[in-house]
Amino acid sequence: MAVASLVAIVDDDESVRESLPDLLREFGCEVQAFESAEAFLASNCVEQTRALLLDIAMPRMSGPELQQELTRRGHKTPIVFITANGDETIRPRMLAEGAVECLHKPFSEAALLRALNAALTVG
Amino acid sequence: METSLASVVDELSQLRDQLDNEVAKGKRVEAALLESERESRLIVDRIPGLVATLTPAGEVEGVNNQVLEYCGRTLEELKQWGTSDTVHPEDLPRVIEVITQSMASGDPHEIEERIRRFDGAYRWFQVRGLPLRDATGRIVRWYVLLTDIDARKRAEAQLAGEKRLLEMVASSCPLTDVLTALCTFVEVISADCHCGVYLIDWSGPRFRNGAVPSLPATFNDPIDGLPVRREIGPCGQAALLKQQVIVTDLETDPLWQESAIRPLALAHGIRSHWSTPIYARDGRVLGTFAIFHREPASPTQIQQDLIAQVTHIASIAIERASSEAALKRSEAFLGEAQHLSRVGSFAWRVAKNDITWSEQLYRIFEFDPQVPVTLDLIGTRVHPEDLTLLHDMIARARSAASDFEYEHRLLMPDGSVKHLHLIAHGTKNESGEVEYIGATQDVTQRRLAEEALDKARSELAHVTRVMSLGALTASIAHEVNQPLSGIITNASTCLRMLDADPPNVDGARETAKRTIRDGNRAADVVTRLRALFSKKELTLESLDLNQAAREVIALSSSELQRNRVVLQAELADDLPPVKGDRVQLQQVILNLLRNASDAMVAVDDRPRQLMIRTERDPGERVRLTVKDAGEGFDFRTVDKLFEAFYTTKPSGMGIGLSVSRSIIESHHGRIWAEPNDGPGATFAFAIPCAVMRTV
Repeated sequence: MAVASLVAIVDDDESVRESLPDLLREFGCEVQAFESAEAFLASNCVEQTRALLLDIAMPRMSGPELQQELTRRGHKTPIVFITANGDETIRPRMLAEGAVECLHKPFSEAALLRALNAALTVG
Repeated sequence: METSLASVVDELSQLRDQLDNEVAKGKRVEAALLESERESRLIVDRIPGLVATLTPAGEVEGVNNQVLEYCGRTLEELKQWGTSDTVHPEDLPRVIEVITQSMASGDPHEIEERIRRFDGAYRWFQVRGLPLRDATGRIVRWYVLLTDIDARKRAEAQLAGEKRLLEMVASSCPLTDVLTALCTFVEVISADCHCGVYLIDWSGPRFRNGAVPSLPATFNDPIDGLPVRREIGPCGQAALLKQQVIVTDLETDPLWQESAIRPLALAHGIRSHWSTPIYARDGRVLGTFAIFHREPASPTQIQQDLIAQVTHIASIAIERASSEAALKRSEAFLGEAQHLSRVGSFAWRVAKNDITWSEQLYRIFEFDPQVPVTLDLIGTRVHPEDLTLLHDMIARARSAASDFEYEHRLLMPDGSVKHLHLIAHGTKNESGEVEYIGATQDVTQRRLAEEALDKARSELAHVTRVMSLGALTASIAHEVNQPLSGIITNASTCLRMLDADPPNVDGARETAKRTIRDGNRAADVVTRLRALFSKKELTLESLDLNQAAREVIALSSSELQRNRVVLQAELADDLPPVKGDRVQLQQVILNLLRNASDAMVAVDDRPRQLMIRTERDPGERVRLTVKDAGEGFDFRTVDKLFEAFYTTKPSGMGIGLSVSRSIIESHHGRIWAEPNDGPGATFAFAIPCAVMRTV
């Protein structure tokens, strides 16, 4: 796993922003967490982000909206959606929209690792 | 006349005696005798009555001219009376018997019999025979005087017939039977005619055959149902013009050439048609009475009198039948209405303890309708717990004739319970006796329905509450999954840190702490949800909203301070108590305070001012207002604020305000939000004051 691969997390849930970066760092990733899509877009990380762990439901700009915005800007950042919503129809929809993976919270470390590897491979 | 006849007969018999004596004296007086007989013959012929002489054996010896003229027969023919139709066949055996006896015994006889007139009509006569005896007492001849009593006989028969008809009416014989008897009666009294009663159904208006007993269906059926119009025939005109119509000859009368009745009548050999309206007491025409003859005919005065009499009887019969039918209909109607509405009626004459029940009331109590109702009997059905109520009601009812109303239950033999609602109106008659007229309704089904409705309402309230929250099942999962996700991630991290070489103990400790915190967060969510979804009845109590608010403020003060919120409370001194569930109302207040506090998290350029205020609202309500200086909300989305799942907060669940609304609404109150003139928003609710007790 390349040290240079920056993984960005965008989630409005604070506990995710606290816990997930630590675990990803344990994997050896470089991690940046953002509490909103707007904050991510405003940051200077967009270009460097090799994989994006993206919450679907957020106030203001949602995860899929951010995905569209990135596409519009010409970024092909691999995206792994994470959602606390139990609706099982979400995952196929997200994959059809070009996501690498869609994880339902709570997800296992193994599932996270698989998804992340897939994203980084695509990237 | 009878007297004069009698004296003539006496005279006559004396005369005959003398004559017979003369005969007995010898031939020398024969010439004188012949002359005398000729004279007596003349006398007899001049008597304005019918006189006959019989031999001692009873054979006709001679008759006067009047007899010959009346009978239209010769003496020789009359001598054969015993085997001819001179005497009405029905009377003949009796007449022969009486005369035979009379001849044998020598006693005078008197007999009433019908004797045929020259035209074939029989008239009633009183016939009296007296014997003429010689000096030795031997009967030499019978003198017979025949007196016309036909008018009297007819009047008697008519009277008897009318009496019979009226008896039929009075004993409620079916109308058809009465009218049939009436027609037959007229046909007997006034020979050689057919009679009919035609009723009128004014809703058509149409004729209905009441009774036409002596004419065939081929004549009757086409008439039944004909419209009541003048051109139909005499009956139509009589009914519409309210006058008698006499058609002497239908065949020749120019007026009825086009009438519907004419061809029908002529085809049945009917020539004359008299029609007389039958009036009700109020002058309405109930129908018509028709007399048909097979020969052209017009009514005699006797027939007119008869028509007048029978139309009067017909009128009584028809009116009585229709009022009886109306009464039966109305009784049936009332009975059906009582059955349908489960209302029974009763009358109670208190002093005599005389109780009358309607059929339906028997049905409600499930008593045999044959059993007389008594208060004791009623007592056996009344629910034991309501017996005191019954006795109290009876005592009050006895004491004064006032109206009363009460509800009680019945305990039926099968153990089921009926709920009854009773209303009674009391009156006093002239002698001061109290009588109640009342109605008792079986309201069991209504009671059960009300109970079921209450239950359904409470279920519905719960379902509604669960719906607004339960539609958020996904949100619950969402809310629980968030901390669970944190727990798993933290635990994974923790393991990895401990597995590292060297182990990152500080990092592991930190993630373990976060694991515990997320676990508590998940538990909190579950607790909160359980509280929301538990089906708890409102615990209503009279409470001081100020006090409830103060408790919430005390609980929240540390959190508010941590968030650097400045709380200002303006609680009205004169706040009336409200009726409500303390815990639920405090949930609402807490929710409003938290929302206000959350709304000001990002505010740094002004004081994070939070104001909570209580006050009286117009319309007996108490209002609590929470005003913040936060971000405020888009006024266009104000409608969505209270919807479940709608949130503007980064970590909000979107159920606080929707739950608050359902709580306030269950307190018959209202919750609303409005933007401030300045920054921030104001949320408020108002609920009704507790009803003031007048102590």
